[in-house]
Amino acid sequence: MKRFSYAILITTLLSACNTVILDPPPVDLLIDDIVFTRASDLPSVRIGLYAAARNLGSPTVQAGDFTADHIIHLGTFTDYREFGTKQITPANGVVGALWGSIFRTIYMTNFILERLPTISGVRADDAKELTAEAKFLRGYANFIGAYSFGGIPKVTTTTLATNRTVTRASKEEILASVLEDYKAALADLPNGDPQDRNIYAGYATKNAVRAALARYYLYQKNWVEAEANATLLINSANYSLVTFNEVVTRDYNQESIFEFGYTLNDYAGDINNYFVGRREVVPSNQVVVALVSRESGNRSQTIDFEFDKQRGNDNGWTLKKYGTADESNRNFVIFRLGEMYLIRAEARAQQGKITGSTGAIVDINRLRTRAGVGLAANLQPPLLTTATQNEMISIIERERVYELAFEGHRWYDLVRTGRAQAVMSAFSANWNQKYELWPIPQSEIQRNPSLAGQQNPGY
Amino acid sequence: MLFAQNRTVTGKVTTATDGQPMPGVNVTLKGATSGASTDTDGSYRITIPNGKATLVFSFVGMLSQEVNVNNRTTINVELLESPTQLNEVVVTGYTTTQRKDVISAMTTVKGDRLKNLPVSGIDQALQGQAAGVRVSASSGTPGGGVKVVIRGNTSINASNRPLMIVDGIPVYDGAVSQFGYGGQQDNAISSFNMNDVESIDVLKDASAKAIYGARGANGVVLITTKRGKTNQKTNITMDVQRGTTEVVKRLDLLNSTEILALQREALANYNAKQTRFEDIIDPDARGLISGVTDGVNVDWVDEVLRKGIYQQYQLSTSGGNDRTRFYLSGSYRDEEGVQLNNRFARYTGSFNLDHKASPKLSFGLNMSLGSTKNRRVFSDNAVDGVYGSSIRSLPYYSPYNEQGKLYTPNDPNYQGFPNGNPVAEALLPRQVTYGAKVLGGINAEYAFLPNLRLRTKFSLDYNNSEEDTYNPTGTFYGSLPSIGGQGYGAYAASSLSIFLNSTVLTYNTSIGENHHISALLGGELLRSQGRSSSVQGRIFPRDEFTYIASAGVVDAGSSFYGQNGLVSGFGEIKYDFKDRYLFSATARYDGSSRFGQDRKFGFFPSASLGWRLKEENFLKDVEFLEDLKLRASYGFTGNERIGNFQFLGTWGATTYNGSSGVGPSSLSNPNLQWERTREANIGLDVAFWKGRLSFTAEVYDNVTDALLFAEPLPATTGFGALQGNIGSISNRGAEFTLRSVNFDGAFRWTTDLNLSRNDNKVVELASEQPLFRGFTAAGVGATNVIKVGEPLGTFWGLKYLGVDVATGDALYEDFNGDGRITTDDAQVIGNAQPKLIGGLTNNFSWKGIDVSAFLQFSYGNKVMNYGNSFLLNPGTDLRVNQTRAALRRWQKPGDVTDVPRYEYNNGFNSYSSSRLLEDGSYLRLKNVAIGYTLPSKWTSKVKLGTVRVYATGTNLWTLTRYSGADPEVSTLDGSTTAQGLDFFTLPQVKTLVGGVTVNF
Repeated sequence: MKRFSYAILITTLLSACNTVILDPPPVDLLIDDIVFTRASDLPSVRIGLYAAARNLGSPTVQAGDFTADHIIHLGTFTDYREFGTKQITPANGVVGALWGSIFRTIYMTNFILERLPTISGVRADDAKELTAEAKFLRGYANFIGAYSFGGIPKVTTTTLATNRTVTRASKEEILASVLEDYKAALADLPNGDPQDRNIYAGYATKNAVRAALARYYLYQKNWVEAEANATLLINSANYSLVTFNEVVTRDYNQESIFEFGYTLNDYAGDINNYFVGRREVVPSNQVVVALVSRESGNRSQTIDFEFDKQRGNDNGWTLKKYGTADESNRNFVIFRLGEMYLIRAEARAQQGKITGSTGAIVDINRLRTRAGVGLAANLQPPLLTTATQNEMISIIERERVYELAFEGHRWYDLVRTGRAQAVMSAFSANWNQKYELWPIPQSEIQRNPSLAGQQNPGY
Repeated sequence: MLFAQNRTVTGKVTTATDGQPMPGVNVTLKGATSGASTDTDGSYRITIPNGKATLVFSFVGMLSQEVNVNNRTTINVELLESPTQLNEVVVTGYTTTQRKDVISAMTTVKGDRLKNLPVSGIDQALQGQAAGVRVSASSGTPGGGVKVVIRGNTSINASNRPLMIVDGIPVYDGAVSQFGYGGQQDNAISSFNMNDVESIDVLKDASAKAIYGARGANGVVLITTKRGKTNQKTNITMDVQRGTTEVVKRLDLLNSTEILALQREALANYNAKQTRFEDIIDPDARGLISGVTDGVNVDWVDEVLRKGIYQQYQLSTSGGNDRTRFYLSGSYRDEEGVQLNNRFARYTGSFNLDHKASPKLSFGLNMSLGSTKNRRVFSDNAVDGVYGSSIRSLPYYSPYNEQGKLYTPNDPNYQGFPNGNPVAEALLPRQVTYGAKVLGGINAEYAFLPNLRLRTKFSLDYNNSEEDTYNPTGTFYGSLPSIGGQGYGAYAASSLSIFLNSTVLTYNTSIGENHHISALLGGELLRSQGRSSSVQGRIFPRDEFTYIASAGVVDAGSSFYGQNGLVSGFGEIKYDFKDRYLFSATARYDGSSRFGQDRKFGFFPSASLGWRLKEENFLKDVEFLEDLKLRASYGFTGNERIGNFQFLGTWGATTYNGSSGVGPSSLSNPNLQWERTREANIGLDVAFWKGRLSFTAEVYDNVTDALLFAEPLPATTGFGALQGNIGSISNRGAEFTLRSVNFDGAFRWTTDLNLSRNDNKVVELASEQPLFRGFTAAGVGATNVIKVGEPLGTFWGLKYLGVDVATGDALYEDFNGDGRITTDDAQVIGNAQPKLIGGLTNNFSWKGIDVSAFLQFSYGNKVMNYGNSFLLNPGTDLRVNQTRAALRRWQKPGDVTDVPRYEYNNGFNSYSSSRLLEDGSYLRLKNVAIGYTLPSKWTSKVKLGTVRVYATGTNLWTLTRYSGADPEVSTLDGSTTAQGLDFFTLPQVKTLVGGVTVNF
């Protein structure tokens, strides 16, 4: 009898403690089902969207500059040795990071597009704006994906089963979806308030889409549209060229169109750490020579020489465009006015418009004038008066290095202009035409049966 | 008999070995049921009837003695230690039983077997002591992580550590601290004093472990601490140990002259390949090694290592009368690490109390306090790891400038990464971890009937860690603008408490003479709560201001709370017929907060059968056979250490541009459950010649399925993985334990041998694709792989075929036969699982002199000497020193060697391959101890009991073919899938200790 009553006691005790012990609420985590169910959840999910998208910043810079002729490798990490020696493999961690952040951004967009219509009480304007922001960022992610990897899987849903086995779409198909997203975003995004630059350039606006379209059409060799969209930004009263020193050292300056924003507390700092802290990589001699040339002018501020760093293989040069957490150049600049001048110049040159008020020379001289500020006359970059079309195109190629070095452009530029093979073979004996595209990450091919045998050629 | 004439016999019982009085010895008249017991002086008094009589003297662990009384009135007896352990009481989960009735696989290690080992932790002391238990210290850092694996690795992602239970309280034995020190962790169990341990029981098969249900799969280690004995005179034991520690081996690295010649050669080979003038590197002009000469020749390893001083002082006392018993102890231990500035100090106190309030009601208390102060240094896989960078550092640099000041990052002559200045990294920072462990339990037992008892216990295991660090501007972290800039300080506090209530009802009865039944029913509630916080500060005004209060920037603050719980019911039934046929069934029903909504509770049953053949008539009279027992068990256990809230689909906090929001963290899986191990075991226990020779043999076959597994997802899903239960691992093995008393008497020699073999194999994974783990490795992706058909800890890489005699380049196997050497040619190149492990202990004693020698070995395991990817790197990286093996390199056509040509910037020769893989087998003289117990005729004159002076040494001798410093280390502390990697890990230390134990 006593045994029986104790058994009851124990059972009662167990059930009483069941909820406390067995189902404790999770701390600092939201459960799937309740994350985006009310209109008031909208701002926090929007931040989640941008937080996902900004992870594109660092790997894009690495793709654009590390794959190309802008760095040499000093450190010990295999990923960077592969960039340094031009022996990039599908196992490279940065390749995986870029791929992952592309699809993470796309997932957030698809999640918002699917979930938003099911939530009641959301103001129509808010819904429209968030949808447009999501599409803009998805478009940008797919754009980077198409030019880094070629055709990538076209992911349009959050359904796990579908996305696990999605196959590669053609590059054209991806780029078509980019244009569709950009156009939808352009229609619904706000103009933004130019007074508050942190918000104006930190979040998507109509102008950010126009800048994205300018670059899109440039890459597509649609010179007319590229010129038109770049002109819209150049003519906008909300942007002006700042000193190059400000370009290097200040986030959200008057020139900035769209940036991925960081603060002291969430600063990733990896690019700064690779160049400054670890000296895993340093600017290559070629890019140093270019940046300190007379043509480059004060754009040499992109880099700096530190005597005590020069030893052994280390040329002593360091990168200034990405500061430490305490400095105010923590962000990844995605679009800025300087690039718009270069896009327009290239579009004009390609259309044979070299001289005159609508010629490429005007735009290049505008940038060179800025690059001469504060320099003695004999050190200022020479202003152009005339050039042939071919000369102009190679001038613009150089000008893009001076202006945009370490902002993630070089490799994409060389590939889209068909210059990669010539330039890169001279830079590294290991260069191979296959490096005009990054490999699909090894893990992705292993995990997704539909990608089996779909690796980019040569890898 | 009622009116029979009686007489009284008195006497004293002492031990045969040292003549100490023995309290509590049972003295009975043969054939009668009642008797007397000896008091604290070992004296007894018994009344017996006149006539022929025989007295029986018995005591657990001693040989019973029968003495014919004849006409004597005084009978003094000396009892001999029993070589057989058949009647020894062993702890089996929630109850105890006698050794002869054990029908499950378990091994007992007595505390006195461990007394000579000057190691800090109980886990480490178990090494080589019990068959089936594989223990490896991760490094020679005091207070560091220790890996304990019982019967093979069962899990890829959940913990592989056994459940550790001290006096019925499950204790936390992992790392409490937060800061990483480069691969090596600290260890909460190291704050527990081994000297307080009475015995350790290791439970190995399902029948022993199923009572621990969802926590039992990795084995259970039951630690019983010392308690006072009934009617024991209060005695005091004092023990003092002092000694030195030193690494077992130092690597043989090149000196300045040799490395300079090698570097020039590597550059010459590079230049020979260049076609353009501007690519030619003149070593002196271009500054690769310019300005350095062999005039400076620094042995960096000598600069950061030292001989450590070790000391330990212990005091304990115990005693009791017939109602109250106690044990009280305190200790201080101070161990200087062999690395500069590394030191582990520990204070412990322990108090155990038992009180019998009435024949029915008794209470008990056990309390153990430990406080540690660990001055840590970065190690292993840290950029500023002291030992690691001292090995890498080039000998033509120096830690000090001409004025004798340390080179620091602000100095123009500072050698930057990866050389740094390890001496400064060791000396300058303050990196202290303060640990505290409180283990307390109170229990009460009430006997409703003599055979029906209820026992309940409340306990707390509280672990605390506070980490205080400051890296001044002279250190890598303190100077790096992206981390400190101008000094870097961080502070973290963490605590973990585990509350437990367990209530157990036991009942035993006999039906007639032959049927014995015992039953147990219990319930248990466990709640574990962890809290942590941390903050960092940067930009300090000066290096004199080292606390975060003075920091210019205080950021990266964080705090967190986590909890989990377990609600369980369990039971056990044992039955035996005539002590000949034995049967037991055990089961536990466990509910855990870690399991998914649809799988909250798991059921873990087991059964076992035993047959004591010795009790059968046909063997009963075989004199030389003391015992023969055959047993078999089958059952299920689980592993619930799968992390908290893994089953929920969750969103976590994220930030953008100074605003905070939410981002997806993980996908949900309501079916997430424990990992389940199905275990089958067959064992044989044999003892001969009154137990002079005994052995136990076991074979087992275990399969763990429903592995907790983050099934990798393609990134196109938006996630990297889905937590699930996929895959299985098999462990099959055999164990053999032998115990022999070779000589008994004045000269006593005993031998203990244990051997075990475990075959671990991954049977099933989520997909056929292998999973890569360990370090990223040049040319092949990773150093380790998890692959179906291979064991955990499998190494991955190219197969190295040697050096091309003509070109001097490495030759690798073209595994896929495509004519090129690529990532796709990587293959399985070996594994870290040993084929056989074991320990051999010999104890000798003669007239107060005792000698013990303990050998431990591991055979057939591979170690990846990953340090050699730097230290023997065919010229890929000229900024690291090389091992002496580099002198064997290929230099000219026709050279036959195993080390490729050195060529600067050529990655091909340094691809991760079987070139780095070595045989990690070793035989190690783990411990030797020599002691002398002073004759009692001397010591009794100064009113002392026993006085023993001794000397003991650990790791004094090692036999191995491994070329690294120590085959026993593992860089990624606690890693299952990347075990056996040696990457600049501090080797174990050899310790020489002298001591004295005084008992009075």
